[in-house]
Amino acid sequence: MFRQAPQLMARATTVAMRCRRLFSTDVPVEASADSTFVEAWRKLIPNIEPPKTPSSFMTPRPSTPASIPTKLTVNFVLPYSSQLSNKEVDMVIIPATTGLMGVLPGHVATIAELKPGVFSVHEGNDVTKYFVSSGFAFIHANSFADIIAVEAVPLDHIDPSLVHKGLADFTQKLNSASTDLEKAEAQIGVDVHSALNSALTG
Amino acid sequence: MAMAALRREGRRFAPMISPNPINSLRSSLAPSEEQAFIGVRSISTQIVRNRMKSVKNIQKITKAMKMVAASKLRAIQVRAENSRGLWQPFTALLGDTPSVDVKKNVIVTISSDKGLCGGINSTSVKTSRALFKLNSGPDKENRYVVLGEKAKAQLIRDSRKDIEITLTELQKNPLNYTQVSVLADEILKNVEYDALRIVFNKFGSVVSFMPTTATILSPEIVEKEAEAGGKIGDLDSYEIEGGETKSEILQNLTEFQFSCVMFNAVLENACSEQGARMSAMDSSSRNAGDMLDRLTLTYNRTRQASITTELIEIISGASALEG
Amino acid sequence: MASNAAVPFWRAAGMTYITYSNICANMVRNCLKEPYKSEALAREKVHFSVAKWVDGKPQKPIVRSDDPEE
Repeated sequence: MFRQAPQLMARATTVAMRCRRLFSTDVPVEASADSTFVEAWRKLIPNIEPPKTPSSFMTPRPSTPASIPTKLTVNFVLPYSSQLSNKEVDMVIIPATTGLMGVLPGHVATIAELKPGVFSVHEGNDVTKYFVSSGFAFIHANSFADIIAVEAVPLDHIDPSLVHKGLADFTQKLNSASTDLEKAEAQIGVDVHSALNSALTG
Repeated sequence: MAMAALRREGRRFAPMISPNPINSLRSSLAPSEEQAFIGVRSISTQIVRNRMKSVKNIQKITKAMKMVAASKLRAIQVRAENSRGLWQPFTALLGDTPSVDVKKNVIVTISSDKGLCGGINSTSVKTSRALFKLNSGPDKENRYVVLGEKAKAQLIRDSRKDIEITLTELQKNPLNYTQVSVLADEILKNVEYDALRIVFNKFGSVVSFMPTTATILSPEIVEKEAEAGGKIGDLDSYEIEGGETKSEILQNLTEFQFSCVMFNAVLENACSEQGARMSAMDSSSRNAGDMLDRLTLTYNRTRQASITTELIEIISGASALEG
Repeated sequence: MASNAAVPFWRAAGMTYITYSNICANMVRNCLKEPYKSEALAREKVHFSVAKWVDGKPQKPIVRSDDPEE
Protein backbone atom coordinates (compact mmCIF):
# COMPACT_ATOMS: atom_id res chain seq x y z
CA MET A 1 0.00 0.00 0.00
CA PHE A 2 2.58 2.51 1.08
CA ARG A 3 5.14 1.25 -1.36
CA GLN A 4 3.13 1.89 -4.47
CA ALA A 5 5.23 4.86 -5.55
CA PRO A 6 8.81 3.78 -5.19
CA GLN A 7 11.25 6.38 -6.32
CA LEU A 8 13.73 4.08 -7.88
CA MET A 9 17.11 5.64 -7.99
CA ALA A 10 19.57 3.83 -10.18
CA ARG A 11 22.01 3.61 -7.32
CA ALA A 12 19.40 2.45 -4.87
CA THR A 13 18.42 -0.24 -7.33
CA THR A 14 21.92 -1.59 -7.58
CA VAL A 15 22.26 -1.53 -3.83
CA ALA A 16 19.02 -3.40 -3.39
CA MET A 17 19.66 -5.86 -6.21
CA ARG A 18 22.39 -7.64 -4.33
CA CYS A 19 20.10 -10.55 -3.59
CA ARG A 20 20.88 -13.33 -1.22
CA ARG A 21 19.79 -16.63 -2.62
CA LEU A 22 20.21 -19.18 0.07
CA PHE A 23 17.22 -18.67 2.31
CA SER A 24 14.09 -20.33 1.06
CA THR A 25 11.89 -18.33 3.39
CA ASP A 26 13.62 -15.09 2.56
CA VAL A 27 11.63 -12.62 0.52
CA PRO A 28 13.24 -11.25 -2.62
CA VAL A 29 14.84 -7.87 -2.19
CA GLU A 30 12.59 -5.09 -3.37
CA ALA A 31 14.19 -1.94 -4.63
CA SER A 32 12.06 0.24 -2.42
CA ALA A 33 14.79 1.65 -0.28
CA ASP A 34 14.13 5.03 1.22
CA SER A 35 15.79 7.23 -1.33
CA THR A 36 16.03 10.39 0.75
CA PHE A 37 17.95 8.43 3.31
CA VAL A 38 20.24 6.86 0.74
CA GLU A 39 20.94 10.21 -0.86
CA ALA A 40 21.65 11.97 2.40
CA TRP A 41 23.94 9.14 3.43
CA ARG A 42 25.90 9.13 0.20
CA LYS A 43 26.39 12.85 0.35
CA LEU A 44 27.80 12.82 3.81
CA ILE A 45 29.52 9.47 3.99
CA PRO A 46 30.75 8.50 0.56
CA ASN A 47 33.03 5.67 1.59
CA ILE A 48 30.60 3.33 3.27
CA GLU A 49 27.58 1.68 1.69
CA PRO A 50 24.35 2.81 3.29
CA PRO A 51 22.77 0.17 5.50
CA LYS A 52 19.66 -1.61 4.36
CA THR A 53 16.34 -0.89 5.92
CA PRO A 54 13.60 -3.38 6.75
CA SER A 55 11.34 -2.23 3.95
CA SER A 56 13.85 -3.49 1.43
CA PHE A 57 13.45 -6.99 2.82
CA MET A 58 9.72 -7.14 2.60
CA THR A 59 7.44 -7.88 -0.29
CA PRO A 60 5.11 -4.94 -0.54
CA ARG A 61 1.50 -5.60 0.28
CA PRO A 62 -1.05 -5.45 -2.51
CA SER A 63 -3.11 -2.31 -2.68
CA THR A 64 -6.76 -2.08 -1.75
CA PRO A 65 -8.78 -3.85 -4.43
CA ALA A 66 -11.87 -2.22 -5.87
CA SER A 67 -14.25 -4.99 -4.86
CA ILE A 68 -14.26 -6.90 -1.63
CA PRO A 69 -12.13 -10.03 -1.92
CA THR A 70 -13.64 -13.35 -1.02
CA LYS A 71 -11.00 -14.46 1.40
CA LEU A 72 -9.10 -12.88 4.23
CA THR A 73 -5.32 -13.32 4.13
CA VAL A 74 -4.06 -13.94 7.61
CA ASN A 75 -0.58 -13.72 9.10
CA PHE A 76 -0.48 -15.03 12.63
CA VAL A 77 2.98 -14.65 14.13
CA LEU A 78 4.56 -15.46 17.44
CA PRO A 79 8.09 -14.52 18.42
CA TYR A 80 9.30 -18.06 18.04
CA SER A 81 7.37 -19.06 14.97
CA SER A 82 5.00 -17.94 12.25
CA GLN A 83 1.92 -20.00 12.87
CA LEU A 84 0.01 -18.85 9.83
CA SER A 85 1.63 -17.03 6.99
CA ASN A 86 -0.44 -15.59 4.13
CA LYS A 87 -3.13 -18.12 4.70
CA GLU A 88 -6.47 -17.50 3.03
CA VAL A 89 -9.38 -17.97 5.36
CA ASP A 90 -13.01 -17.03 5.59
CA MET A 91 -13.11 -15.37 8.96
CA VAL A 92 -11.13 -14.88 12.13
CA ILE A 93 -12.36 -13.98 15.58
CA ILE A 94 -9.93 -11.98 17.64
CA PRO A 95 -10.13 -11.22 21.36
CA ALA A 96 -9.87 -7.45 21.28
CA THR A 97 -9.96 -5.39 24.44
CA THR A 98 -13.62 -4.62 23.79
CA GLY A 99 -14.54 -8.27 23.39
CA LEU A 100 -14.50 -10.87 20.67
CA MET A 101 -14.46 -9.30 17.28
CA GLY A 102 -15.16 -11.08 14.03
CA VAL A 103 -13.16 -10.10 10.98
CA LEU A 104 -14.44 -10.80 7.50
CA PRO A 105 -12.91 -9.91 4.16
CA GLY A 106 -13.54 -6.28 3.40
CA HIS A 107 -13.43 -5.27 7.06
CA VAL A 108 -12.58 -1.64 7.65
CA ALA A 109 -8.94 -0.97 8.44
CA THR A 110 -8.44 -1.34 12.18
CA ILE A 111 -5.76 -1.52 14.81
CA ALA A 112 -6.82 -3.56 17.81
CA GLU A 113 -4.98 -4.38 20.98
CA LEU A 114 -5.64 -7.93 22.11
CA LYS A 115 -6.52 -9.07 25.58
CA PRO A 116 -6.02 -12.63 26.85
CA GLY A 117 -8.61 -14.71 25.07
CA VAL A 118 -9.41 -17.18 22.36
CA PHE A 119 -8.39 -16.53 18.79
CA SER A 120 -10.13 -18.66 16.22
CA VAL A 121 -9.57 -19.14 12.53
CA HIS A 122 -12.47 -20.26 10.36
CA GLU A 123 -11.68 -21.89 7.07
CA GLY A 124 -14.66 -23.54 5.43
CA ASN A 125 -15.80 -25.92 8.12
CA ASP A 126 -12.53 -26.06 10.08
CA VAL A 127 -12.09 -23.95 13.12
CA THR A 128 -8.68 -23.71 14.74
CA LYS A 129 -8.59 -22.14 18.16
CA TYR A 130 -5.64 -20.70 20.07
CA PHE A 131 -5.48 -19.00 23.42
CA VAL A 132 -3.60 -15.76 22.98
CA SER A 133 -1.93 -14.05 25.92
CA SER A 134 -1.65 -10.55 24.51
CA GLY A 135 -0.63 -8.76 21.36
CA PHE A 136 -1.94 -6.66 18.53
CA ALA A 137 -4.03 -7.17 15.46
CA PHE A 138 -3.86 -5.01 12.37
CA ILE A 139 -6.53 -5.30 9.75
CA HIS A 140 -5.62 -3.57 6.54
CA ALA A 141 -7.94 -2.23 3.93
CA ASN A 142 -6.78 -4.81 1.40
CA SER A 143 -8.19 -7.70 3.49
CA PHE A 144 -4.88 -8.60 5.02
CA ALA A 145 -4.89 -9.30 8.71
CA ASP A 146 -1.74 -9.39 10.84
CA ILE A 147 -2.07 -10.83 14.27
CA ILE A 148 1.02 -10.62 16.43
CA ALA A 149 0.86 -12.38 19.75
CA VAL A 150 3.45 -12.79 22.44
CA GLU A 151 2.30 -16.28 23.38
CA ALA A 152 -0.37 -18.46 21.87
CA VAL A 153 -1.20 -22.03 22.74
CA PRO A 154 -3.72 -24.45 21.31
CA LEU A 155 -6.53 -24.95 23.79
CA ASP A 156 -5.72 -28.56 24.47
CA HIS A 157 -2.29 -27.68 25.85
CA ILE A 158 -3.88 -25.95 28.81
CA ASP A 159 -4.19 -27.69 32.15
CA PRO A 160 -7.53 -26.86 33.87
CA SER A 161 -6.39 -27.63 37.39
CA LEU A 162 -3.49 -25.18 37.11
CA VAL A 163 -5.90 -22.58 35.79
CA HIS A 164 -8.22 -22.95 38.76
CA LYS A 165 -5.33 -22.86 41.17
CA GLY A 166 -3.94 -19.75 39.51
CA LEU A 167 -7.28 -18.03 39.60
CA ALA A 168 -7.69 -18.73 43.31
CA ASP A 169 -4.13 -17.57 44.03
CA PHE A 170 -4.46 -14.32 42.23
CA THR A 171 -7.90 -13.52 43.59
CA GLN A 172 -6.42 -13.90 47.00
CA LYS A 173 -3.42 -11.77 46.08
CA LEU A 174 -5.69 -9.08 44.74
CA ASN A 175 -7.43 -8.84 48.06
CA SER A 176 -4.25 -8.71 50.02
CA ALA A 177 -2.24 -6.49 47.68
CA SER A 178 -0.93 -3.25 49.06
CA THR A 179 1.08 -1.33 46.50
CA ASP A 180 -0.24 -0.22 43.13
CA LEU A 181 2.16 -2.51 41.33
CA GLU A 182 1.11 -5.58 43.28
CA LYS A 183 -2.52 -4.74 42.75
CA ALA A 184 -1.94 -4.38 39.04
CA GLU A 185 -0.09 -7.68 38.84
CA ALA A 186 -2.77 -9.46 40.79
CA GLN A 187 -5.46 -7.91 38.63
CA ILE A 188 -3.66 -9.09 35.51
CA GLY A 189 -3.46 -12.55 37.05
CA VAL A 190 -7.16 -12.62 37.74
CA ASP A 191 -7.98 -11.43 34.23
CA VAL A 192 -5.72 -13.91 32.51
CA HIS A 193 -6.89 -16.85 34.54
CA SER A 194 -10.56 -16.05 34.18
CA ALA A 195 -10.06 -15.74 30.44
CA LEU A 196 -8.31 -19.11 30.45
CA ASN A 197 -11.18 -20.54 32.43
CA SER A 198 -13.81 -19.29 30.06
CA ALA A 199 -11.76 -20.49 27.14
CA LEU A 200 -11.70 -23.99 28.55
CA THR A 201 -15.36 -24.09 29.41
CA GLY A 202 -16.75 -22.02 26.56
CA MET B 1 85.20 -25.55 -0.08
CA ALA B 2 82.31 -27.79 -0.97
CA MET B 3 81.56 -28.11 2.69
CA ALA B 4 81.75 -24.40 3.21
CA ALA B 5 79.38 -23.86 0.33
CA LEU B 6 76.93 -26.37 1.76
CA ARG B 7 77.20 -24.88 5.20
CA ARG B 8 76.42 -21.51 3.73
CA GLU B 9 73.40 -23.05 2.04
CA GLY B 10 72.25 -24.42 5.36
CA ARG B 11 72.61 -21.05 6.97
CA ARG B 12 70.48 -19.58 4.21
CA PHE B 13 67.60 -21.81 5.30
CA ALA B 14 67.71 -20.82 8.90
CA PRO B 15 66.83 -17.14 8.40
CA MET B 16 63.91 -18.21 6.19
CA ILE B 17 62.52 -20.30 8.97
CA SER B 18 62.95 -17.89 11.78
CA PRO B 19 64.00 -14.29 11.75
CA ASN B 20 66.21 -14.64 14.81
CA PRO B 21 69.97 -14.59 14.26
CA ILE B 22 71.58 -17.99 14.46
CA ASN B 23 73.54 -17.28 17.62
CA SER B 24 70.49 -16.59 19.66
CA LEU B 25 68.94 -19.76 18.26
CA ARG B 26 71.88 -21.79 19.45
CA SER B 27 71.71 -20.32 22.89
CA SER B 28 67.99 -20.82 23.22
CA LEU B 29 68.10 -24.40 22.01
CA ALA B 30 71.01 -25.72 23.99
CA PRO B 31 69.57 -29.22 24.56
CA SER B 32 69.01 -29.82 20.85
CA GLU B 33 72.49 -28.57 20.13
CA GLU B 34 73.88 -31.32 22.22
CA GLN B 35 72.17 -33.91 20.11
CA ALA B 36 74.50 -33.39 17.17
CA PHE B 37 77.22 -30.89 16.53
CA ILE B 38 76.50 -30.92 12.84
CA GLY B 39 76.16 -27.19 12.75
CA VAL B 40 73.22 -25.02 11.95
CA ARG B 41 71.09 -27.53 10.14
CA SER B 42 69.97 -29.90 12.86
CA ILE B 43 68.99 -27.01 15.04
CA SER B 44 66.84 -25.67 12.21
CA THR B 45 65.07 -28.97 11.79
CA GLN B 46 64.20 -28.92 15.45
CA ILE B 47 62.86 -25.42 15.15
CA VAL B 48 60.89 -26.28 12.08
CA ARG B 49 59.46 -29.34 13.80
CA ASN B 50 58.31 -27.23 16.71
CA ARG B 51 56.69 -24.75 14.45
CA MET B 52 54.97 -27.48 12.53
CA LYS B 53 53.56 -28.93 15.71
CA SER B 54 52.15 -25.62 16.86
CA VAL B 55 50.69 -24.79 13.45
CA LYS B 56 49.03 -28.18 13.35
CA ASN B 57 47.51 -27.56 16.73
CA ILE B 58 46.23 -24.21 15.61
CA GLN B 59 44.68 -25.83 12.58
CA LYS B 60 42.90 -28.37 14.76
CA ILE B 61 41.60 -25.70 17.09
CA THR B 62 40.29 -23.48 14.33
CA LYS B 63 38.65 -26.43 12.61
CA ALA B 64 36.93 -27.31 15.86
CA MET B 65 35.78 -23.74 16.33
CA LYS B 66 34.39 -23.79 12.82
CA MET B 67 32.37 -26.92 13.58
CA VAL B 68 31.05 -25.43 16.78
CA ALA B 69 30.06 -22.22 15.02
CA ALA B 70 28.38 -24.23 12.25
CA SER B 71 26.26 -26.19 14.70
CA LYS B 72 25.33 -23.07 16.65
CA LEU B 73 24.45 -21.38 13.40
CA ARG B 74 22.08 -24.18 12.41
CA ALA B 75 20.26 -23.90 15.70
CA ILE B 76 19.89 -20.17 15.68
CA GLN B 77 19.14 -19.84 11.99
CA VAL B 78 15.89 -21.69 12.52
CA ARG B 79 14.82 -19.23 15.18
CA ALA B 80 15.84 -16.22 13.15
CA GLU B 81 13.81 -17.45 10.20
CA ASN B 82 10.84 -17.96 12.44
CA SER B 83 11.10 -14.51 13.87
CA ARG B 84 11.16 -12.84 10.50
CA GLY B 85 7.41 -12.68 10.38
CA LEU B 86 7.42 -10.61 13.52
CA TRP B 87 8.53 -7.23 12.24
CA GLN B 88 6.84 -7.36 8.86
CA PRO B 89 3.37 -6.37 10.08
CA PHE B 90 4.79 -3.33 11.81
CA THR B 91 6.62 -2.19 8.72
CA ALA B 92 3.47 -2.79 6.69
CA LEU B 93 1.48 -0.62 9.07
CA LEU B 94 3.83 2.09 10.12
CA GLY B 95 6.18 2.20 7.17
CA ASP B 96 9.90 2.60 7.38
CA THR B 97 11.36 6.05 7.69
CA PRO B 98 15.08 6.15 8.26
CA SER B 99 15.22 9.65 6.85
CA VAL B 100 12.99 11.08 9.53
CA ASP B 101 14.27 14.25 11.06
CA VAL B 102 14.01 14.31 14.81
CA LYS B 103 15.74 15.96 17.69
CA LYS B 104 16.62 13.05 19.91
CA ASN B 105 18.15 10.08 18.17
CA VAL B 106 19.19 7.02 20.01
CA ILE B 107 21.38 4.59 18.10
CA VAL B 108 21.17 1.04 19.37
CA THR B 109 24.22 -0.89 18.23
CA ILE B 110 24.07 -4.67 18.42
CA SER B 111 27.32 -6.61 18.49
CA SER B 112 28.76 -9.78 19.92
CA ASP B 113 30.42 -10.41 23.24
CA LYS B 114 33.02 -12.79 21.88
CA GLY B 115 35.60 -12.10 19.24
CA LEU B 116 37.11 -14.03 16.35
CA CYS B 117 34.08 -13.37 14.22
CA GLY B 118 35.49 -11.50 11.27
CA GLY B 119 34.57 -7.91 10.57
CA ILE B 120 30.90 -7.73 11.50
CA ASN B 121 31.37 -5.81 14.71
CA SER B 122 33.53 -3.24 12.99
CA THR B 123 30.95 -2.74 10.25
CA SER B 124 28.22 -2.27 12.84
CA VAL B 125 30.27 0.33 14.66
CA LYS B 126 31.18 2.10 11.42
CA THR B 127 27.53 2.23 10.43
CA SER B 128 26.52 3.54 13.84
CA ARG B 129 29.14 6.23 13.75
CA ALA B 130 28.01 7.21 10.28
CA LEU B 131 24.38 7.39 11.41
CA PHE B 132 25.47 9.52 14.31
CA LYS B 133 27.20 11.88 11.95
CA LEU B 134 24.27 11.87 9.55
CA ASN B 135 21.89 12.84 12.29
CA SER B 136 23.90 15.42 14.10
CA GLY B 137 22.97 19.03 13.86
CA PRO B 138 22.63 22.19 15.90
CA ASP B 139 19.78 21.23 18.19
CA LYS B 140 19.94 17.52 17.83
CA GLU B 141 20.98 15.11 20.49
CA ASN B 142 22.36 11.69 19.75
CA ARG B 143 23.07 8.91 22.20
CA TYR B 144 24.33 5.36 21.90
CA VAL B 145 22.95 2.27 23.50
CA VAL B 146 25.42 -0.54 23.12
CA LEU B 147 24.73 -4.26 23.26
CA GLY B 148 27.79 -6.48 23.39
CA GLU B 149 31.36 -6.12 24.53
CA LYS B 150 32.95 -5.66 21.14
CA ALA B 151 31.08 -2.57 20.12
CA LYS B 152 31.52 -1.16 23.60
CA ALA B 153 35.27 -1.52 23.30
CA GLN B 154 35.31 0.24 19.95
CA LEU B 155 32.90 3.02 20.83
CA ILE B 156 34.61 3.80 24.09
CA ARG B 157 37.61 5.00 22.17
CA ASP B 158 36.05 8.10 20.73
CA SER B 159 32.44 8.42 21.83
CA ARG B 160 32.58 7.89 25.56
CA LYS B 161 30.45 10.87 26.32
CA ASP B 162 27.62 9.77 24.12
CA ILE B 163 27.03 6.32 25.48
CA GLU B 164 23.88 6.03 27.48
CA ILE B 165 23.65 2.35 28.45
CA THR B 166 25.68 -0.75 27.75
CA LEU B 167 24.26 -4.24 27.96
CA THR B 168 26.40 -7.35 27.98
CA GLU B 169 26.27 -11.07 28.75
CA LEU B 170 23.30 -11.56 26.51
CA GLN B 171 24.02 -15.00 25.21
CA LYS B 172 24.31 -16.94 28.41
CA ASN B 173 20.94 -18.54 27.73
CA PRO B 174 19.66 -19.24 24.25
CA LEU B 175 18.09 -16.09 22.90
CA ASN B 176 14.39 -15.82 23.52
CA TYR B 177 11.73 -13.20 23.28
CA THR B 178 11.32 -12.70 26.99
CA GLN B 179 14.96 -11.77 27.43
CA VAL B 180 14.99 -9.34 24.57
CA SER B 181 11.77 -7.76 25.67
CA VAL B 182 13.09 -7.18 29.18
CA LEU B 183 16.16 -5.63 27.57
CA ALA B 184 13.97 -3.45 25.38
CA ASP B 185 12.02 -2.45 28.45
CA GLU B 186 15.21 -1.37 30.22
CA ILE B 187 16.18 0.73 27.25
CA LEU B 188 12.76 2.34 26.97
CA LYS B 189 12.70 3.16 30.64
CA ASN B 190 16.11 4.73 30.78
CA VAL B 191 16.39 6.61 27.54
CA GLU B 192 14.44 9.52 26.17
CA TYR B 193 14.07 9.31 22.47
CA ASP B 194 12.24 10.60 19.47
CA ALA B 195 13.63 7.97 17.17
CA LEU B 196 15.43 4.74 17.90
CA ARG B 197 17.73 3.44 15.24
CA ILE B 198 18.76 -0.15 15.63
CA VAL B 199 21.94 -1.12 13.80
CA PHE B 200 22.60 -4.79 13.24
CA ASN B 201 23.87 -7.25 10.66
CA LYS B 202 21.13 -9.02 8.82
CA PHE B 203 21.95 -12.58 7.96
CA GLY B 204 21.88 -13.23 4.25
CA SER B 205 23.88 -16.40 3.98
CA VAL B 206 27.01 -17.82 5.52
CA VAL B 207 29.13 -15.45 3.51
CA SER B 208 26.86 -12.43 3.29
CA PHE B 209 25.79 -10.11 6.08
CA MET B 210 24.06 -6.84 5.36
CA PRO B 211 24.40 -3.99 7.79
CA THR B 212 20.85 -2.89 8.35
CA THR B 213 19.18 -0.16 10.30
CA ALA B 214 15.62 -0.28 11.55
CA THR B 215 13.96 2.90 12.72
CA ILE B 216 11.35 3.07 15.45
CA LEU B 217 9.67 6.32 16.22
CA SER B 218 8.22 7.44 19.48
CA PRO B 219 4.44 7.71 19.58
CA GLU B 220 4.46 11.49 19.44
CA ILE B 221 6.57 11.52 16.33
CA VAL B 222 4.38 8.88 14.72
CA GLU B 223 1.39 11.12 15.24
CA LYS B 224 3.24 14.10 13.88
CA GLU B 225 4.37 12.21 10.79
CA ALA B 226 0.92 10.78 10.25
CA GLU B 227 -0.55 14.25 10.23
CA ALA B 228 2.14 15.51 7.93
CA GLY B 229 1.35 12.79 5.42
CA GLY B 230 4.13 10.94 3.75
CA LYS B 231 4.86 7.35 4.50
CA ILE B 232 2.74 6.95 7.59
CA GLY B 233 -0.05 9.07 6.19
CA ASP B 234 -2.40 6.14 5.91
CA LEU B 235 -2.37 5.59 9.63
CA ASP B 236 -5.33 7.86 10.10
CA SER B 237 -7.48 5.66 7.96
CA TYR B 238 -7.24 2.93 10.56
CA GLU B 239 -9.95 2.80 13.13
CA ILE B 240 -8.97 2.09 16.64
CA GLU B 241 -10.85 -0.77 18.15
CA GLY B 242 -11.80 -0.19 21.72
CA GLY B 243 -12.37 2.96 23.57
CA GLU B 244 -8.75 3.98 23.87
CA THR B 245 -7.50 7.04 22.20
CA LYS B 246 -5.12 6.88 19.30
CA SER B 247 -2.17 8.12 21.31
CA GLU B 248 -2.81 5.44 23.92
CA ILE B 249 -2.75 2.66 21.45
CA LEU B 250 0.17 4.18 19.62
CA GLN B 251 2.15 4.15 22.80
CA ASN B 252 1.52 0.47 23.37
CA LEU B 253 2.12 -0.21 19.73
CA THR B 254 5.47 1.51 19.54
CA GLU B 255 6.69 -0.28 22.65
CA PHE B 256 5.64 -3.60 21.24
CA GLN B 257 7.17 -2.72 17.90
CA PHE B 258 10.49 -1.91 19.51
CA SER B 259 10.51 -5.17 21.39
CA CYS B 260 9.67 -7.25 18.31
CA VAL B 261 12.12 -5.51 16.03
CA MET B 262 14.84 -5.82 18.67
CA PHE B 263 14.15 -9.52 18.94
CA ASN B 264 14.57 -10.05 15.25
CA ALA B 265 17.64 -7.80 15.15
CA VAL B 266 19.36 -9.63 17.99
CA LEU B 267 18.67 -13.02 16.41
CA GLU B 268 19.89 -11.93 12.99
CA ASN B 269 23.02 -10.47 14.49
CA ALA B 270 23.69 -13.66 16.37
CA CYS B 271 23.31 -15.64 13.15
CA SER B 272 25.67 -13.27 11.38
CA GLU B 273 28.13 -13.63 14.22
CA GLN B 274 28.17 -17.41 13.96
CA GLY B 275 28.36 -17.28 10.19
CA ALA B 276 31.22 -14.81 10.25
CA ARG B 277 33.02 -16.87 12.84
CA MET B 278 32.60 -19.95 10.69
CA SER B 279 34.11 -18.31 7.66
CA ALA B 280 36.88 -16.66 9.69
CA MET B 281 37.85 -19.96 11.27
CA ASP B 282 37.60 -21.69 7.93
CA SER B 283 40.04 -19.31 6.28
CA SER B 284 42.25 -19.50 9.33
CA SER B 285 42.48 -23.28 9.19
CA ARG B 286 43.09 -23.18 5.46
CA ASN B 287 45.85 -20.69 6.08
CA ALA B 288 47.33 -22.92 8.72
CA GLY B 289 47.22 -25.80 6.27
CA ASP B 290 49.14 -23.78 3.69
CA MET B 291 51.68 -22.76 6.27
CA LEU B 292 52.06 -26.36 7.28
CA ASP B 293 52.75 -27.39 3.69
CA ARG B 294 55.40 -24.76 3.30
CA LEU B 295 57.03 -25.71 6.57
CA THR B 296 57.02 -29.39 5.61
CA LEU B 297 58.86 -28.60 2.40
CA THR B 298 61.43 -26.53 4.26
CA TYR B 299 61.85 -29.25 6.83
CA ASN B 300 62.45 -31.91 4.23
CA ARG B 301 64.91 -29.77 2.34
CA THR B 302 66.85 -29.03 5.51
CA ARG B 303 66.84 -32.64 6.54
CA GLN B 304 68.06 -33.83 3.15
CA ALA B 305 70.74 -31.18 3.05
CA SER B 306 72.08 -32.27 6.39
CA ILE B 307 72.11 -35.92 5.33
CA THR B 308 73.93 -35.02 2.16
CA THR B 309 76.49 -33.02 4.11
CA GLU B 310 77.12 -35.92 6.44
CA LEU B 311 77.62 -38.28 3.55
CA ILE B 312 79.99 -35.90 1.84
CA GLU B 313 82.02 -35.47 4.98
CA ILE B 314 82.27 -39.19 5.46
CA ILE B 315 83.20 -39.86 1.87
CA SER B 316 85.76 -37.10 1.65
CA GLY B 317 87.19 -38.22 4.96
CA ALA B 318 87.46 -41.77 3.66
CA SER B 319 89.01 -40.70 0.37
CA ALA B 320 91.50 -38.51 2.27
CA LEU B 321 92.61 -41.55 4.28
CA GLU B 322 93.08 -43.69 1.20
CA GLY B 323 94.81 -41.08 -0.80
CA MET C 1 -10.82 -4.36 31.47
CA ALA C 2 -9.30 -1.54 29.44
CA SER C 3 -12.52 0.33 28.96
CA ASN C 4 -12.95 3.98 28.25
CA ALA C 5 -10.61 4.79 31.11
CA ALA C 6 -7.86 7.26 30.41
CA VAL C 7 -5.10 4.77 30.98
CA PRO C 8 -5.28 1.04 31.55
CA PHE C 9 -4.74 0.08 35.16
CA TRP C 10 -1.38 -1.43 34.55
CA ARG C 11 0.01 1.70 32.97
CA ALA C 12 -1.30 3.74 35.86
CA ALA C 13 0.67 1.44 38.15
CA GLY C 14 3.85 2.16 36.25
CA MET C 15 4.13 -0.83 33.95
CA THR C 16 4.97 -0.62 30.30
CA TYR C 17 3.14 -2.62 27.65
CA ILE C 18 6.11 -4.92 27.38
CA THR C 19 5.99 -5.71 31.09
CA TYR C 20 2.26 -6.32 30.90
CA SER C 21 2.52 -8.65 27.94
CA ASN C 22 5.39 -10.55 29.52
CA ILE C 23 3.41 -11.11 32.69
CA CYS C 24 0.39 -12.31 30.70
CA ALA C 25 2.53 -14.63 28.61
CA ASN C 26 4.23 -16.06 31.67
CA MET C 27 0.94 -16.78 33.35
CA VAL C 28 -0.32 -18.59 30.30
CA ARG C 29 2.87 -20.64 30.17
CA ASN C 30 2.45 -21.57 33.81
CA CYS C 31 -0.97 -23.02 33.05
CA LEU C 32 0.19 -25.41 30.38
CA LYS C 33 0.22 -29.16 30.65
CA GLU C 34 3.48 -30.98 30.92
CA PRO C 35 5.67 -31.37 28.80
CA TYR C 36 4.68 -28.13 27.07
CA LYS C 37 5.05 -26.23 30.31
CA SER C 38 8.63 -27.21 31.04
CA GLU C 39 9.60 -26.69 27.38
CA ALA C 40 8.12 -23.24 27.36
CA LEU C 41 9.58 -22.20 30.69
CA ALA C 42 13.03 -23.54 29.78
CA ARG C 43 12.91 -21.61 26.56
CA GLU C 44 12.30 -18.27 28.13
CA LYS C 45 15.15 -17.56 30.49
CA VAL C 46 16.58 -14.12 31.01
CA HIS C 47 20.12 -13.10 31.80
CA PHE C 48 21.98 -9.95 30.99
CA SER C 49 23.99 -7.24 32.65
CA VAL C 50 23.21 -3.57 32.16
CA ALA C 51 25.42 -0.63 32.99
CA LYS C 52 24.28 2.96 32.80
CA TRP C 53 26.80 5.54 31.75
CA VAL C 54 27.00 9.00 33.14
CA ASP C 55 29.31 11.50 31.51
CA GLY C 56 31.44 8.90 29.85
CA LYS C 57 31.88 6.79 32.95
CA PRO C 58 30.17 3.48 33.45
CA GLN C 59 28.27 2.96 36.65
CA LYS C 60 28.24 -0.32 38.44
CA PRO C 61 26.56 -2.92 36.23
CA ILE C 62 23.36 -4.55 37.40
CA VAL C 63 22.83 -8.17 36.50
CA ARG C 64 19.25 -9.17 35.73
CA SER C 65 18.93 -12.85 35.71
CA ASP C 66 16.38 -15.63 35.53
CA ASP C 67 13.65 -13.15 35.84
CA PRO C 68 11.17 -13.60 33.02
CA GLU C 69 8.64 -11.43 34.76
CA GLU C 70 9.89 -7.93 35.22
